[in-house]
Amino acid sequence: MIRFPTSPSEVPASAGGGPSPVIRAGGTDLTERRRLRLAPGPLIDLRDVIGLDSIDWAAGAATVGARVTVAQAASDPALAAAYPGLAAAAGSLATPQIRAVATIGGNLLQANRCWYFRNPDHRCLKSGGDTCLARAGDHLYHACFDRGPCACVHPSTLGMALLAYEAQVAVHEQPERSIEALYGDGSDPSRDHQLPDGALLTHVVMPAPVPLERAAYFRTISRARAEWPLVEALVRLGLRGSTIEFARVAVGGVAPVPLRLPAVEAALVGNAMDRTSFGAAANKAREGASPLPMTGYKVDLVEGTVLEALERASYATPSAVGADAAGSAGAATPKDGA
Amino acid sequence: MTDKLSTTRRGFLRGTIGTASAAIVTTADAGCSKELTTERGTSAVPQTPAQERVDVSTKVNGQTHRLEVHPDDSALDVVRSQLGLTGCKLGCGHGACGACTMQVDGTPVATCLLPATSLHGRAVTTVEGVGAGGLHPVQRAFMAEDAMQCGYCTSGFIVEATAFHDAWRAEHGAREPTKEQVAEAMAGHLCRCAAYVQIYAAIQGACAGRFDGEVEAPRYDAREKVTGKAKYTVDQQPDGLLIGKALHSPYAHAVVTKLDWSAALAMPGVEGAVDLLTESRRVRYAGQEIMALAAIDERTALAAIEAVVVEYDVKPAVIGMDAARAVGAEVVYPKRGDRKHPPNSSEGPLLPEGWSGNLRGPLGLFSKQRRVARANIERARKDGTVFEGTFRTQVQCHTALEPHVALAQWEGTDKLTVHISTQAVALKAEEVAERWGLRRDDVRVLAPYVGGGFGAKGTLTHEVVVAVALAQVCDAPVIYGLDRRSEIMIGGNRPGAEIEMSLATDAGGSMTAMRSITHSDSGVAVGGVVSIMHRIIYPEAPRELVDYDVTNHAPPGKPFRGPAGPQAYFALEQAVDHIAHVRGEDPVAVRRRWDPNPARNALYDWVDTLPEWTGRPAHKADRGRYRRGIGIAGAAWFAFVEPKSRIQIDASPDGIVVTTASQDIGNGTRTIIAKTIAESLGVGMYDIDLRIGDSRYVHGAWSAGSRTTSSVVPPSKHAAEQLKEELVDIAAKHFRLKGAVAVPGGVAHEGGKVPWSEVLAISPKITVIGRRKRDEGGYAVPQIMGLATERAVSASLQVVEVEIDTRLGRLSIPRTWAGYGVGRIVSPTLARSQAQGGVLQGISYALYEERRLDPTHGYLLSAGLEDYRIAGIGDVGEIHIHFEESGYEKVRGRSVGLGEIVTLAPAAAIANAVFDATGWRPHELPLRPDRVMKGMHT
Ligand SMILES: Cc1cc2nc3c(=O)[nH]c(=O)nc-3n(C[C@H](O)[C@H](O)[C@H](O)COP(=O)(O)OP(=O)(O)OC[C@H]3O[C@@H](n4cnc5c(N)ncnc54)[C@H](O)[C@@H]3O)c2cc1C
Ligand code: FES
Ligand code: FES
Repeated sequence: MIRFPTSPSEVPASAGGGPSPVIRAGGTDLTERRRLRLAPGPLIDLRDVIGLDSIDWAAGAATVGARVTVAQAASDPALAAAYPGLAAAAGSLATPQIRAVATIGGNLLQANRCWYFRNPDHRCLKSGGDTCLARAGDHLYHACFDRGPCACVHPSTLGMALLAYEAQVAVHEQPERSIEALYGDGSDPSRDHQLPDGALLTHVVMPAPVPLERAAYFRTISRARAEWPLVEALVRLGLRGSTIEFARVAVGGVAPVPLRLPAVEAALVGNAMDRTSFGAAANKAREGASPLPMTGYKVDLVEGTVLEALERASYATPSAVGADAAGSAGAATPKDGA
Repeated sequence: MTDKLSTTRRGFLRGTIGTASAAIVTTADAGCSKELTTERGTSAVPQTPAQERVDVSTKVNGQTHRLEVHPDDSALDVVRSQLGLTGCKLGCGHGACGACTMQVDGTPVATCLLPATSLHGRAVTTVEGVGAGGLHPVQRAFMAEDAMQCGYCTSGFIVEATAFHDAWRAEHGAREPTKEQVAEAMAGHLCRCAAYVQIYAAIQGACAGRFDGEVEAPRYDAREKVTGKAKYTVDQQPDGLLIGKALHSPYAHAVVTKLDWSAALAMPGVEGAVDLLTESRRVRYAGQEIMALAAIDERTALAAIEAVVVEYDVKPAVIGMDAARAVGAEVVYPKRGDRKHPPNSSEGPLLPEGWSGNLRGPLGLFSKQRRVARANIERARKDGTVFEGTFRTQVQCHTALEPHVALAQWEGTDKLTVHISTQAVALKAEEVAERWGLRRDDVRVLAPYVGGGFGAKGTLTHEVVVAVALAQVCDAPVIYGLDRRSEIMIGGNRPGAEIEMSLATDAGGSMTAMRSITHSDSGVAVGGVVSIMHRIIYPEAPRELVDYDVTNHAPPGKPFRGPAGPQAYFALEQAVDHIAHVRGEDPVAVRRRWDPNPARNALYDWVDTLPEWTGRPAHKADRGRYRRGIGIAGAAWFAFVEPKSRIQIDASPDGIVVTTASQDIGNGTRTIIAKTIAESLGVGMYDIDLRIGDSRYVHGAWSAGSRTTSSVVPPSKHAAEQLKEELVDIAAKHFRLKGAVAVPGGVAHEGGKVPWSEVLAISPKITVIGRRKRDEGGYAVPQIMGLATERAVSASLQVVEVEIDTRLGRLSIPRTWAGYGVGRIVSPTLARSQAQGGVLQGISYALYEERRLDPTHGYLLSAGLEDYRIAGIGDVGEIHIHFEESGYEKVRGRSVGLGEIVTLAPAAAIANAVFDATGWRPHELPLRPDRVMKGMHT
């Protein structure tokens, strides 16, 4: 069964009995999972829903509709000016033909890519089984920050980016929540996010931009392009003179949820933007790592990837905002640790 | 929802099951039952099951269509099956390859994941609609630059590149985009043939305005490929076509104790089923096809597969060579009888060998002065002049972009037509006839276009058996093909290998012994022959060469482009490199000393003039984050020929029609034949109406074992010569010419020249058949399986520059220089693109590709083109190709094949370059970031 609601209020929270309904946005994740029988249930297709596909600005901050495509997010000039790291992350994920269709909401709520989870013949913790098959099996591309029974890594590049931007997500008829709350701590092996079934994510609510931030997104892969990250990182730096006074660092591809790295951030703040402090800070990215037998290499890659992103951020042109966006309230440079 | 509906329908039909009939079909295919039990569906006429439908109104290529689609249909499904627009292809089905790309409102989109419902109110452009009314500059550019081989990925590239081109030129005029910019735009497309060098050239050239006018294509069938008109097996849609789907075993080792398909057969729209197990009911690898059925559409077929009841007695499985060699390991073929006909992963016949548990071998046939070799190694050990090391290579999957697929249609009970995505049209017709007890002439095998093969599509495999058997029981055309997961799982693979390699010299640096003990992992197959590769290069020194197969419960290996070659040279050429390094000698000098092969010696001369090689930096010159190094490796390959190969020319006032039952899998068979005949006559390639890929034509060569060129060129010439003779006679008589003689373009005589077209206009029908005459001096060994081995051995030498990012473990190959000695080059453009594609496949093997199975249960993990990584356009550096055309005087036509030699040396050359850059010698493939990081630390 399929329905095409035209407004968020027509999206039912639950169908009552039977498999719960499945929301479909671009379908770039869902289509494959439905073929694998991993997401049965009647479809609620967002195709005709009005009002979820724009980027709106209020008080200098953006609200991004859930149906805005990843390609739009990557190429919107205002968004790129205010949140350069987000735009860069959006422009680097998947491939152009996927980005053209994939939506922000779908990206945040997509299911993980673990090769056991996506095997049609075998059931793991996330697909109704009772054990993590990767843990005992082949987990070459899995977590190196082990957070619980499931060893998968979270797939969402934008989840990781929005974590570094301290964004909130708006869910229809529910209070806004942080990215941390959206995903939990990674110990729940049954799901890739913590929204109830059928809950409609309507918007991503960005905080006020940080003027003159230097941001960089970097992913480490084996080939040149178009590959799921071994490790990916987003770095945002704010300077006062030559001293780093604001830092946000998040990584993906390493744990069942995107991770923020407070130890790295702390090691940066108050130090000069130079090789020495970058090296020392990147080294802190290893803190708390708990690799599986086959993922020890990823700990090295987390350090390398964070270092790479830091260096790239240091060369990045500071974001242009300030004038219009920062003119409004709340645009003062947030102090770290706040 | 579908589930619920079908349950009701099943209940409704339960009363009518009794009408099922059973039939027996015989086949002797290895791994497949000799006798197939089939059963027919219960409904007399195919019924369309009730399915949910959504109305979609969409414009496709300018035409408005009202469609009814299922909510889960993809846009690709609908456009291909309902509108018959088959130009855009299903490659992977999960967004990774781009073969399915269409423009939706002008934007390229992966339509395999795009819900068909989202086409509502949108405008779609498929490859058929690109440049409607004429060719788009990008299409012309792809033709002119020869930016394709098999052409299966081409539609997707064209659709994406035209959008890029139009936007680019609107913004930048005719400025040429950089390679980076092109790579960025094309990042979502994969070409398994790796025609990337030409794809770059085409897109850059089109954007720069170089292809706004008419062009000439070096490839005979380029236009069909860039316009989406080329029809592959997957594109055939005869009326009443049923879709076959198989049930694959989830277990690597089990006995099927119950198989009940009655519920499935009772579903409306399900027309027949076939049992694919042998009498023992044993399954020996995960993914093995247990049964298959045919239904009116794919959705119904898949739902029916779910309704099949199957019970397994799961047995312990051994996965991988270590488990299989362990003491007390479960034995894959415990019984004598089982060991007689295991699947064969090699291209040659299986020799009788001993077995011990899972170990088959030793095969020591290719050794030479074994005792002397042993003694010399012993001595060199004492002298410290020996290299010894163990190298491991992974299992590599062919994963051609068109999967294994066959479409069978019976006419009565004794005439059969089968479309097969095959490398061997003529051979398959013979095999099908034999297996189904039909007359050869009553079997017609068709393969007008084939989306890649790489060795996996030579033998009669299950897709044919399934399609033929189901078509028979259903009395309707049936298509059965593998999806990407199954293709990677069971479509074929290059065996993994573990090679203990020793190379000994004396103090003067003469090679005194070579030794290799190889264990090959072909899963349930056998036939690893690394030793033969070690025999045909540096052939003088004594050597002990031994092969073992280690059977285990993994899918069977198949011949893969240069079977055993990349593995063998990865080990041997690193050993050679080590010796040169330790001796402080130039690696080319060492090889020259050991190598009598004239073709490779010519290549040593060539490389000595290559400034990038001769002027290379010192060993470990870079000390920073990025380290560059240069490595060299060579390889030898056989020159094969199929002497039975024929070419027929029918000439009449209607023109020149050329036919042969060969096929073009992207290797350029069409072009080579058309060009040879056209050149002989002195006419244009397109003046020849060439028809191949049909077993009704005269016997054509396989496309395998690099035999095509040497097998089709001489008969093409021979046919053309005969035709010319006849036409000269006819012209002389008809026009009463004096001194008539064939010249380019026609018949010259004392009074001038009559063009061929005028001679043909008055000519009666002429038929001539060209043959492949023997080489001078005969062949090296007697013909085996219709294949003769020429006395000449082909040669390659490859120089590679690597760059290693020590921070992130990434390896890239900025530059390659590759030289080949394969005799005369028939079509330089096509030869270059074959070579570059082969080099890239070799790079892809060395750096990325790796089949991964669950280590204990043996099911496939790298099940798509995201996890099974093949090189993309961004991974392509400069690749310079050099052809050494001298030699091969005794080979008829003076050309030997190129398809395999090009892919043998890259892994070895890369490994040697890594050693040059870092001092770390890689012993294991692929060179993933984790391995590189580890290597840097050691
Ligand atoms: C080859 C390839 C490479 C990729 N690489 C990357 C990558 O590097 N990084 C990355 O992040 N992603 C990557 N992706 C994944 C891709 O980004 C996601 O598939 C896409 O973002 C999902 O968006 P969609 O709109 O298509 O979602 P859908 O497929 O429609 O839905 C995805 C999930 O989100 C739910 N959902 C969607 N919208 C809403 C909503 N508004 N409210 C509630 N639930 C909703 C659906 O129910 C479903 O469970 C890749 C995909 C492919 C095919
Ligand atoms: S078939 Fe759609 S991307 Fe491969
Ligand atoms: S030409 Fe690209 S896959 Fe064959």
